[in-house]
Amino acid sequence: MSRIRILGPRGQLQSVLGCVQDLGLVQLVEPSETESLSLLGLTPEQARHVRGVRKVVKDVDTALELLGQTPSPPKTAKDLDLRRAALVAGRCRRELEGLAEQHQQLEEERALILKFRPFFAAFRKIGESGLDLDGIRVFYLILKKDGEEELRRMRAAFRQALGDGFELLSQPSESGESAMLLAVPAADAMKAEQLLSEAGVQALSLPDQFEEESVGSTIQRMQARLGELPGELATLERQRRRIAEDRGRELAGIQATVRDYLATIEATEKAVVTPRAFVVEGWIPSAARPDLERQLGKSFGDQVEIEAVSSEEWAGDTVPVVLHNPRLFRPFEAITGMMPLPKYGTVDPTPFVAVFFPMFFGIVLGDIGYGTMLGIISLILRIRSKPGAKLRSISEIGLACSLFTIIFGFLYGELFGDLGHRIGLHPLIFNREEAFFPFLGFAIALGVVHIVLGLLVGAVKMFRGDKRRAIGKGMAAMMVVLIALALMAASGMLPERFFTPLVIATLVALPILIVAEGVLAPIELVSTLGNVLSYARIMAVGTASVMMAIVANRMVGAFGAVWVGVLFALVFHLINFVLGVFSPTIHMLRLHYVEFFGKFYSPGGSQYRPFRHWSARESATDERSA
Amino acid sequence: MDLEMVFLYLSAALAVGIPALATGWAQSRIGPAAAAALAEKPELTVTVVLLIAIPETLAILGFVVAVLILMQGGG
Repeated sequence: MSRIRILGPRGQLQSVLGCVQDLGLVQLVEPSETESLSLLGLTPEQARHVRGVRKVVKDVDTALELLGQTPSPPKTAKDLDLRRAALVAGRCRRELEGLAEQHQQLEEERALILKFRPFFAAFRKIGESGLDLDGIRVFYLILKKDGEEELRRMRAAFRQALGDGFELLSQPSESGESAMLLAVPAADAMKAEQLLSEAGVQALSLPDQFEEESVGSTIQRMQARLGELPGELATLERQRRRIAEDRGRELAGIQATVRDYLATIEATEKAVVTPRAFVVEGWIPSAARPDLERQLGKSFGDQVEIEAVSSEEWAGDTVPVVLHNPRLFRPFEAITGMMPLPKYGTVDPTPFVAVFFPMFFGIVLGDIGYGTMLGIISLILRIRSKPGAKLRSISEIGLACSLFTIIFGFLYGELFGDLGHRIGLHPLIFNREEAFFPFLGFAIALGVVHIVLGLLVGAVKMFRGDKRRAIGKGMAAMMVVLIALALMAASGMLPERFFTPLVIATLVALPILIVAEGVLAPIELVSTLGNVLSYARIMAVGTASVMMAIVANRMVGAFGAVWVGVLFALVFHLINFVLGVFSPTIHMLRLHYVEFFGKFYSPGGSQYRPFRHWSARESATDERSA
Repeated sequence: MDLEMVFLYLSAALAVGIPALATGWAQSRIGPAAAAALAEKPELTVTVVLLIAIPETLAILGFVVAVLILMQGGG
């Protein structure tokens, strides 16, 4: 990333900014050196104008959000007619907000009536009992599940206070709660409220429009409203769709144009000026600087000058970060991108993720059949996704994972579990059904390689700055290797005569580690060894996956009729495939984020946001990553 | 089956069972808190996945110990 300064005649400022926006390569910032220069502020009239533009942006954003979908803007951008844009955006926002409010009211009314639904049966009973409800106050109550004892106590309390002058009807509802209706003479209403409060039972309040009605007509009105509400909601939805059809594209066009315009105003505010010249500063990827120079040179000749700002004038933390990887690794930026961006000047772990993530995934799933299924699904997703979309990245990661799964499927001799062995496939490295120890050793060895690599990357990167800590990291990496080799010698995997020299070397390295990293270094080393052991999950999850596949295959002969067994086996294989894809993904993510990244990753970089023409998709991506 | 084998299988079962219960308990505490946090801040998804995955190490290591017990004991 380079920091550049663009200088030119003041009269050309807007044209230069337009050109920079067209290119979309420079993230503008306020100039670091402003002596004898002044920020190009706004006059009160301009400030009022900007407030107006911001209001249009807010209106159009709200309107499009309420539409629920962002239609694509017209292909040819129109010149901005701010007055019309404000009128259309404001009117659409008001109409859509009105519709949304009505929709919410109707939904609330429906929810409230549905709460009363359990009472409908009770109401009918009252009607059938021929109760005279004149001068009667009715309470609607909900009694919680298993509340018979509470109901008995309440009935006794009411009998004691009111004698026979009340009616308490209860009706169990589908949720297990009981809907209750309490009718008391209006004169005793206060007393009843007090008794209910003492019993801790809350009365439901009726929707406003039913409050003045008699009990009999309330149920009829409620039932009628329940029938009417879906129609009214559908009418509102039709109105919303009509606005979307009539105005959707226009609103999207206004959004793009007005946001572009606002971006230009905000860019102008970052410029500093003298009476004759302007200066703007910004960040640009170093590789893209010649493009900018060529374009500005073509448009403005030698009137506009670009110069590099010396690194002494800016601090490292302020540099925006953009991940830039070869095409093959780029999909894996989706995995790195789930973490905060790395600080500028530190290591982008994407290439490591691109190698190890699909490889570990393949080692865990390791099955030709499942790998092929994953490959087909990933291929379909890739064909159906748009270039640059997140789904495209996921599908490409899936393809890489499926490739490794098939490769390790051949190495393990697995095709839908042990079906491969039955048709003549033989394991080339080990049989996962039986070789627990070799698989465990393999997983731990991968852990050693991965963790040591992480420590070495951290040490190399740190070497320029803090040499002592870099040596500490290198020493930790060496000790992990020494301890692993010593354990191998102890368990007979290496000649026993290596054991003593390896232990001595470990003991010699320990004081150097303490000197380099401090007294807490041994604890950190134990934690690092714990990280290595965590890679045992590769074996654990992998073994679980193959065992499930074997169980699925054994179902064929376990159910009398062969076709029933085959059906069960297929379903079980499908479940195992879903688990087999989901589980390694989560575990491998964890191994990368916690164990591997923890050794060198420095989060805290700020996203590179160049000044360019606005687009809805990029804006959504930026907001997510912000 | 002699008593030694009974204890062997029992040890292996305990070695994987107890850490699995502990993992389940830890995740039962993390899960609701994580769901609540996600409702407020969806951008915490990665942190939440990591927090939920961290206790799984217990079960994994328990499983490894169980395998070691069974293999060393000839089960």
